[in-house]
Amino acid sequence: MIGATIRKDLQLLLRDRGALLSLFALPIVFIVVFGSIFRFGGDRSQPRPLPVWHQPGDARALTIVAAIEASGAFAPQRHDSPEAVRSLVAKEKTAAGLIIPADLDPPAGRKVELVIDLGAPMQVRGPIEGALGAVISQALAPAGTAAQPVLEPRTPPGLAKPLANITGFQVTVPGNGVLFGFFIALTVAMSFTEERRSGTWRRLLASPVSRGAALVAKLLPFVVIGLGQLGFLFGIGALFFGMRVAGSVSALVVLSLAVVLCSTALGLAMAALGGTEKQLGGVGSVTLLVMGLVGGCMVPRLVMPEVMRTIGMAVPHSWALDGYYTLLVRTGTGLTDILPQLGALLTFAAGFAAFGVWKFRFER
Amino acid sequence: MSAQPQDGAARAAEPAIAMSLRSLGKDFGARTAVHAIDLDIRKGQILGLLGPNGAGKTTTISMACGVVTPSRGAVLVDGVDLAAHPRRVKAQLGLVPQELAIYQELDAVQNLSYFGALHGLRGAALRQRVDWALHLAGLTDRAREVTATYSGGMKRRLNLAAGLVHRPRVLILDEPTVGVDPQSRNHVFETVRELAREGMAIVYTSHYMEEVEQLCDQIAIMDGGKIVAVGALPELVAAHARGGLELELEAPAPGGEALTRALAAAAAHAELARDPARPQVVRCEAPARLAPLLAAIEDCGVRVARITSYQSNLETVFLRLTGKALRDAQEGA
Repeated sequence: MIGATIRKDLQLLLRDRGALLSLFALPIVFIVVFGSIFRFGGDRSQPRPLPVWHQPGDARALTIVAAIEASGAFAPQRHDSPEAVRSLVAKEKTAAGLIIPADLDPPAGRKVELVIDLGAPMQVRGPIEGALGAVISQALAPAGTAAQPVLEPRTPPGLAKPLANITGFQVTVPGNGVLFGFFIALTVAMSFTEERRSGTWRRLLASPVSRGAALVAKLLPFVVIGLGQLGFLFGIGALFFGMRVAGSVSALVVLSLAVVLCSTALGLAMAALGGTEKQLGGVGSVTLLVMGLVGGCMVPRLVMPEVMRTIGMAVPHSWALDGYYTLLVRTGTGLTDILPQLGALLTFAAGFAAFGVWKFRFER
Repeated sequence: MSAQPQDGAARAAEPAIAMSLRSLGKDFGARTAVHAIDLDIRKGQILGLLGPNGAGKTTTISMACGVVTPSRGAVLVDGVDLAAHPRRVKAQLGLVPQELAIYQELDAVQNLSYFGALHGLRGAALRQRVDWALHLAGLTDRAREVTATYSGGMKRRLNLAAGLVHRPRVLILDEPTVGVDPQSRNHVFETVRELAREGMAIVYTSHYMEEVEQLCDQIAIMDGGKIVAVGALPELVAAHARGGLELELEAPAPGGEALTRALAAAAAHAELARDPARPQVVRCEAPARLAPLLAAIEDCGVRVARITSYQSNLETVFLRLTGKALRDAQEGA
């Protein structure tokens, strides 16, 4: 009996493509994605590029640059002006840069300027500030004397001023909000599958409701639910975890609406691809997890290598997070500051919706 | 093909036609599921739609209620074309799918309110119709309980109520009594009869031959995507089957080539029918030809174990027209 049961379950499993994908193919996808993030991000054999400016021939600056280079953690690249260094950081081409003044005198308050986004997550800022501070202090301090603080971190012009005393929740609340907000897509797709399976979809088609209206009516409740979900998560974040909104609250609502429209449209696209509830539960959920991972919901994209950051732009999660990050962290920001993110999210939504409508089979 | 007698005087006395299928057909790629069927259903009539698995019944029903778009032909309700006026026509149609097409997480009132709202019912009118449908389904006492807790029969009754909460002119029932207890089945029967008495036209498909015999005043038999016969039960029996004698052959006789040849030769005189599911049985619809048939069988060295007489019924008609017993046809469904 045991043998027959094992044989039967193996036969069933071998015919269940969704389960096979979940069990064997998707772990490989996770391994590749996680491996790509940490191979490039944390590999000491590939020093992080570090734009630097100092006066030509400045002996102490050259000492500092040599010490940094010798540390193996950074690859200093000299630029022609302080503005060039600040611009690179402001445009997020690099996480940090250094400006070494000619009259460098830390005890007198004239320190090395660390150009860095002070609104960046602590996972990004902490290691950079710590490593550079230690290397420069050692390079400057005479042997046997105590090292002094030598760095003055500053946000470059072009980036709105971040909130002071940012906590981890300022990052984890939107990260998880976006990750789980997009799971509404799975709920949408499974809802269509359940309606088809139970026969209620046939009843809907037999009613005097146009097919377009039936589709819209089926999707709209999920927009409301999705907005409620994000509102709940941000509300909990604000009430219990000290999360603050540095920018415009109304812009936050508009951004959330764009996120929910995008995730609902993604659900329609998934529903149009068909599949059983089991397949959706397996493949769909893991796909959404991978999208969230690549989009920076679990690991900040700033710590990812360039190639992974570029790939991340191909999923709506990264745009949503960028938008949230701007509004939650940078003071005085509003709708105009998140227009690129809004545009990208609505473009994704339109694309998903167009695919869904094109492929959706009412009479399946 | 019409479900009505074609006599002019009789036709004048009959109720008006509620639904007409005109050359209705459906292709799925290169495969034709339904050819081009014509069928009329009159007000107050219960039309039974029978056919083996794959005959095209569900496709026909789905086209009739606008769930599937026909490849050809038209569906008319009270003379109005479904394709031209889908909202107007669908408002007159009620569908009871074979599946339990209800939301089991909701209670009966919530289910019926939703399905009523889909048909444009609002406010007091909706509440009134919901109460009526609950009463009709015998669910008033359990109306506020989550339907997942209902028995199979209660769910079936709610499934029926959801299809008629808007009081359609034409009600289409697809296997409405699958898996229900006899009490609930009788309740469904009574409800269907009452609705028909009130003038509702009803299309009823069922796996159960006796249900169709008891309930339907017209029967259409489908096979291979076509309607192969239509009419009242006595008309169908008279036209397509008669009573006769059933010869049960001794095992292991059936299947021999000599016997097959002998039966084929005898069939020309004895009007034989064989049920593929019971190969040891030969039915002879012309008892006067029994003697030469017996001789032919005995010449093959086969003995007849038993001879019994039988009356023709819908099962006989179905077997004759489709070559399949309905029970076997449905087992594969």
